[in-house]
Amino acid sequence: MFFLRNKLHFVVVLIFLSSCSSMNVTEENVGSDEVKTVKASSARSENINYDTMAVFANATVYFEFDKSSLTSKSIQTLKSAVNALNENSSINITLSGHADERGTREYNLALGQRRAEAVSDYFVLNGISKNRITVKSFGEEKPVAFGQDETSYSKNRRVEIN
Amino acid sequence: MKKFLLLVCFSGFISSELILEITQGTEDPFRVAIIKFNGDNKATSEIDQIIKNNLMRSGEFKIFDNDDLLSLPKDEDEIVFNDFRILNIDYLIIGNLINESSNIKAEYKVYDIRKGSKVRSSTVFGIPNKNRQLAHYISDGIYEEITGIKGIASTKILYVTQNKDYRLVVADADGKNEQILLESSEPIISPSWSPDSKKVAYVSFETGIAKVFIQDIASGNREVVIENSSQISSPAWSPDGKFLSLTMYQDGNAEIYILNLKNKNLTRLTNHYAIDTESTWSKKGSKIMFTSGRSGSPQLYEINLRKSNARPKRITFEGNYNAKGAYLPNNEGIVFVHRANTSFQIALKYFDENFIRPLTESQMDESPSISPNGNVIVYSIKEEGTGLLSGVTLSGAKFKLPAAEGSVREPAWSGFLR
Repeated sequence: MFFLRNKLHFVVVLIFLSSCSSMNVTEENVGSDEVKTVKASSARSENINYDTMAVFANATVYFEFDKSSLTSKSIQTLKSAVNALNENSSINITLSGHADERGTREYNLALGQRRAEAVSDYFVLNGISKNRITVKSFGEEKPVAFGQDETSYSKNRRVEIN
Repeated sequence: MKKFLLLVCFSGFISSELILEITQGTEDPFRVAIIKFNGDNKATSEIDQIIKNNLMRSGEFKIFDNDDLLSLPKDEDEIVFNDFRILNIDYLIIGNLINESSNIKAEYKVYDIRKGSKVRSSTVFGIPNKNRQLAHYISDGIYEEITGIKGIASTKILYVTQNKDYRLVVADADGKNEQILLESSEPIISPSWSPDSKKVAYVSFETGIAKVFIQDIASGNREVVIENSSQISSPAWSPDGKFLSLTMYQDGNAEIYILNLKNKNLTRLTNHYAIDTESTWSKKGSKIMFTSGRSGSPQLYEINLRKSNARPKRITFEGNYNAKGAYLPNNEGIVFVHRANTSFQIALKYFDENFIRPLTESQMDESPSISPNGNVIVYSIKEEGTGLLSGVTLSGAKFKLPAAEGSVREPAWSGFLR
């Protein structure tokens, strides 16, 4: 058992007061620190939608640092995505938001979500049913570029549409 | 293994593993003589090295070992106090390692050199093949005796590594004795200890989205805290262990909720269109601090849980990025990630001061976690794109923990385990 110290471990502190000094006397047991390793099942469904892949190959929009607003370039990309979605009413899409590595991981997870939501909002405003859209974030956990520079960072601040 | 950098002011001995890079430390460290314990040479050498490393890492000690001393008493009768007084030594430690069949125990004594008297006599019963743990317990006993503060050598640090796979790892406070809690092909983030240090909570992406799990360390039993289809992250335990604060995304935006772990009731804490996340509890459980983007950039806010409908109060004002706060155990201040120009540093702010104190100065310092005695902060740094763990004491001494395999990040310090 891990840290079963309450039962196994006892500390006896006796303070001896002599004429001019005191001494601490202690006795204790080292607690066990056994651990059980768990393997997460890799049964993650990839959910690859090949119809969608064909239509939206490379459909990715990019963002500024700590921003989730759509740039004019992003809007161009999204306009063609809206057309494709209107022409293929049977397909659903997943929007995955991402952030660059600067800043804290949880804040970046939330930021990736905001970016994906911003794209989702654009689709909904342009007549795409919310039911067809799944939104999620990977924060800074799944970069596509690995440098410590703005070129890499700008590639990682993205929402992937597939 | 990484090469060590030899330090100047604590050059009493050389460590092959611990990397002490800057050592301001305290200006007036305790001068402590540690005589190698009597007993089996291999075991006592290992224990001797671990004890010295533990004490050095605190930044509060200058250690004198066998090579530095004028005499090497084996027991009390042989102590010549003047041999230590002449070197201005404050304390002397002598001890025995006793190995009888399968039982191992250490007896050690601490002497106050100035008074010329014994101030501590201790016995630690060990576990076979766990000499490191035995050494940590001895270190904490010595530390407590001399400083009056509880030691942290016997505590643990939880962190995430990424090599090919992701791993949630628990190690001794010196970074050694790594044990794997979880292995996954998908990211793991935000590890957090239960207050009794028997369980951990973390975010795993193994199902395809962020989900919070609680795992029992000894048994490996684990569960998803909330079974639904939405993303959940950033777990933090209340000090009484009854609640878990979480970031939930069910409305599309990051908001903080409090989960009652017994009846699974959820209470919403924040309601704002900006990001609210990275919640953490004050040591008495009366306040929650979190990161919010509501001012236009990430800043730290506090909510008083004792008041009904209390509004979040902003507590950081310097710079445009202050996030992932942690309360000091004595509640006198907070430690957090602060952006200065283009670099991210760990900073400290005492509540009775109106300025912040930068504690680190590299480019990408993140995830500060405070030792349970409040004296040391462990955090992650990046060197050439690879994550490493570093520590800084409030007295300014810095050290790096030995590199585990792969990129290391998000350290979380346990409570006291001894």
